[in-house]
Amino acid sequence: MVSKDELRHLGWISRINLSEEEIETFHHQLGDTIKYIDVLETFDSENLTLDYLEVEFSNLREDKTIEFTRDLIPKSSLAQEGYVKGPKMI
Amino acid sequence: MGNILIGLEIHCQLTSLKSKLFCFCHEDYRSFKPNSNICPICCGFPGTLPLLNQKAVEHAAMISNALGSKIPEKIMFYRKNYFYPDLPKNFQITQYNSYGLTSIGSAGSVCISDSKTIRIRRVQLEEDPGRLSYDSGNIHNSNHTLIDYNRSGVALVEIVTEPDFTEPKEVRYFLNKLSSILEHLGVCDTALEGAVRCDANVSLKGGERIEIKNVNSFREVEKALTYEISRQTSLSTRNIRINSETRHWDEQRKITRIARTKEEEQDYRYFPEPDIPLVMLGKDFYTHIEKLVPELPDERLSRFKSKYTLSDHVANILINSKKLADFFESCLKIYYSPVEIANWLVNDLLALIGGEETVILDKLKIEPKHMAELAKLVDEKKISRSNAKQIFTEVFRTGQTPSELLSSTDYSQINDENLIANAVDLVFSSEKSAVEDAKVNSGAINFLVGKVMKMTKGRADPKIVTQLINVKLAQLGNS
Amino acid sequence: MSNLYDLGALEAHRGINQGDFTAEEYVWSIIERIERVEGKVHAFITLNKENALNDAREIDKKIRTKEDAGSLAGVTVGIKDNISTHGLKTTCASKMLENYVPPYDATVVERLKNHGAIVIGKLNLDEFGMGSTTEYSRYGPTHNPWNLDYVPGGSSGGSGAAVSSRECAISLGSDTGGSVRCPASFCSVVGLKPTYGSVSRFGLISYANSLEQIGPICRTVEDVVTVMNAISGHDPNDNTCFLLRSNVPYLHIKKDTAPSSIAIVKELIDGCDPAVSRTIYSALDKFKEFGWESTEISLKSVNYALPSYYTIAMAEASSNLARYDNIRYGFSLPVEGFEWNTYISNVRSNFGEEVKRRILIGSYVLSSGYYSKYYLKARQLRSLLRQELLSNFGKYDLLVGPTMPVLPFRIGEKIDDPLKMYLMDVDTVLANLAGIPAISIPAGHSNGLPIGLQLMAGPFQEQKLIDAASLLENAIDIARSPEI
Repeated sequence: MVSKDELRHLGWISRINLSEEEIETFHHQLGDTIKYIDVLETFDSENLTLDYLEVEFSNLREDKTIEFTRDLIPKSSLAQEGYVKGPKMI
Repeated sequence: MGNILIGLEIHCQLTSLKSKLFCFCHEDYRSFKPNSNICPICCGFPGTLPLLNQKAVEHAAMISNALGSKIPEKIMFYRKNYFYPDLPKNFQITQYNSYGLTSIGSAGSVCISDSKTIRIRRVQLEEDPGRLSYDSGNIHNSNHTLIDYNRSGVALVEIVTEPDFTEPKEVRYFLNKLSSILEHLGVCDTALEGAVRCDANVSLKGGERIEIKNVNSFREVEKALTYEISRQTSLSTRNIRINSETRHWDEQRKITRIARTKEEEQDYRYFPEPDIPLVMLGKDFYTHIEKLVPELPDERLSRFKSKYTLSDHVANILINSKKLADFFESCLKIYYSPVEIANWLVNDLLALIGGEETVILDKLKIEPKHMAELAKLVDEKKISRSNAKQIFTEVFRTGQTPSELLSSTDYSQINDENLIANAVDLVFSSEKSAVEDAKVNSGAINFLVGKVMKMTKGRADPKIVTQLINVKLAQLGNS
Repeated sequence: MSNLYDLGALEAHRGINQGDFTAEEYVWSIIERIERVEGKVHAFITLNKENALNDAREIDKKIRTKEDAGSLAGVTVGIKDNISTHGLKTTCASKMLENYVPPYDATVVERLKNHGAIVIGKLNLDEFGMGSTTEYSRYGPTHNPWNLDYVPGGSSGGSGAAVSSRECAISLGSDTGGSVRCPASFCSVVGLKPTYGSVSRFGLISYANSLEQIGPICRTVEDVVTVMNAISGHDPNDNTCFLLRSNVPYLHIKKDTAPSSIAIVKELIDGCDPAVSRTIYSALDKFKEFGWESTEISLKSVNYALPSYYTIAMAEASSNLARYDNIRYGFSLPVEGFEWNTYISNVRSNFGEEVKRRILIGSYVLSSGYYSKYYLKARQLRSLLRQELLSNFGKYDLLVGPTMPVLPFRIGEKIDDPLKMYLMDVDTVLANLAGIPAISIPAGHSNGLPIGLQLMAGPFQEQKLIDAASLLENAIDIARSPEI
């Protein structure tokens, strides 16, 4: 289960504003889902290994430069001198 | 200053790479206008995937090796999740040690003196964030944050030490040595602005840990630590509790200040980066890296001491800057006089440059051939040492060769006893009272020697001058 | 065949190549078809008519001058709107990317274009691929061509519906937990989820990177083969698509297929709708008629597949979607007057509710206190599941079962119960967790609603899937496209 406070905290660490209405519905829906995935606990994980996709060192990308010449960031997102404009920090 | 524990987190950019860690943009972002060294990958555009730079892994492994760290046979990358405006994906691809997998280096050690070793906790490869500035010049009254992603994705190696330093001086030794190691490896040009950055954590016995961030050059670290230790000491003597916090080093005012934004205890929600498979370095990787690692400062130091018979002090000063040590050895290739040349470099050259600025050595007008030539002239007694110093200063200033300077101004030493005797005669006739003094007071002889040297513009061999004056005084006494 | 829009990829290509009709005539026919039925089906988010017609004229020029126009020359393809198309809006059916125009083509799009295919438009999906019905699209649901009141499946619902309603010859979807196969099943068409690492993900806007692959949805197995041969193979832009140094094995349709051994997964059949299981069993009888051996087996890992799947998918999603902060791209909301955190928390509340739920749960399962309880455990069980499946492929060529445990249902019927929706993915997630290929092939209809059969094979054994699907396609004639 997740408490409503825990849900608000999850909203904060995910940077999503949650309305009171959303807290109300998500509280139940997330609770159901988390209860469902709690079944993972019932499986014994002793002697379980992890497998990973692998890449050989020799197949890694060669260190070379290629300039990206197309427009990337739309003009509307730019401030003076080519800086990208973000909200103020404080 | 007992019971102090200091640990360091050092970030160094792999400046000798051509491209960034995960894309084809330039690693050297410094000459670009804002946001002109970017692509969809390093700006975190939807659908892009990181493409790990092989050479970056190699260079990070070379650093691990040089810091005596273990290099594993496979490495993994992780995502460190947090929101910050300089981070286009709002996570950083970095490394993390867990579940049997380690970063590119772990459990290393570096000796900073005969009796002191600093343990290296880990060495990891990660991406640099972009850079922020503010439209009004400071964070407080700006309407916008201005973001430049040119640096975003640049390959960075983070070196984390154990809290093994007990005084700021040791930190300086360590950072000097680290700089020299990085220079010797040729993987990081520590002179470039922002290429090396250092965070430190300090705790007094029984106190909480204080992080000092934002120290943008190695030189400032010792100052920041000294300030912070005296601040904490004074708090604790007044029984004021020291809270765990993050402080920033204000380089202008030379003080640490509590970080402006509250940096709460973050939960970074690390998990393995799914877009980069486990990188299989293999069993032969370690040997491969060993071959790439050149002679390092420790070995070079002992070679300088044994082969060139340099003192520990002189050899250390040379080794602390790879460029200076290289300069030294280039001189020797032209003219072999190690002790003479080492002394010139350590005493005279560094004095002229001004201490720690040896890093700009390659921008100087004086070159190894000049130094070699000068040492040869001194060794062959063609010029006096005091004239050599004058010539050295001129070479440093103009870049002219010593022989050019010698022919334009006559610095060649006068060894001809007749010529010197003439000068002595002239001084004896013009400085009669001094001659009388000198007969009874040997200290006044120096005055006469000085007069002769002045008359010969310093070119007379001072030994011959002294000898002739003594002879003449003796003759006067006997007559 | 009376209309050019009825043609499959290979038929259209042959006609254009032989000069029976021009690519432009064919594209016009498709556009007219779209204009006629799109109002009812709503498969597209963005149409690309003008460019498509221009591309068709280019193809026609090549054909006239006898230049090689490619193996898919002139063929109309619809692209799921989470696959990047250079210069053509790619929204992921999200407000967050409402104005986003990618500065590059996904590798698969580039390859299709290089083979002469013509991108006719971008197809609807559940926002960022999160859903099984296409109801979670910001642009409204897609309707099942077989019954317009019903869902077409998801998340690639637009890709399934557009192919089934003949609004394009072929389409690309992406499959994270069944998102290609589910709509293929619900719309009575063929959908393939390739082996992980055989098709480049470069340009696919990530939902859950370690699980997803791009795959084709077509009306015939033959067309699936053609699309796969065009898009698969090593891509230097995707570190996870290195598995095959050169190319994945070239797929083909065989005239005669030697019998294989198939295993029916008991757990997948047991809990499903009786109409579905009846259809599956009768399809299996067809295989037996051709001398194929079939056995019933039990897979333990089915019990933990779904919770593992959702844990991993949501964890990866929470991190992948962190980049949508509306700074470099996104929708129009000036930054003036906002403080940083307030701004991004505000803009990010514009994610749809299913996306929000998954991000929140994803953040939860990765949190320091819960990491080993959920995420790590899910990863371990995933490895175990992969081992169990691989060991079965030592004994059997194919594993078989229904694609979906249920028939298509009414739009809105399950939307308020996310967990119920998640449970429908029980049959499809196995292939994603194990990284193996799987195909959904039409097996029948019940009350006019399509039922798909799913076949799974070992890694890079796509040819086995093609052989079996092709056999079934020839043995039972199931309509692929309804009258609308």
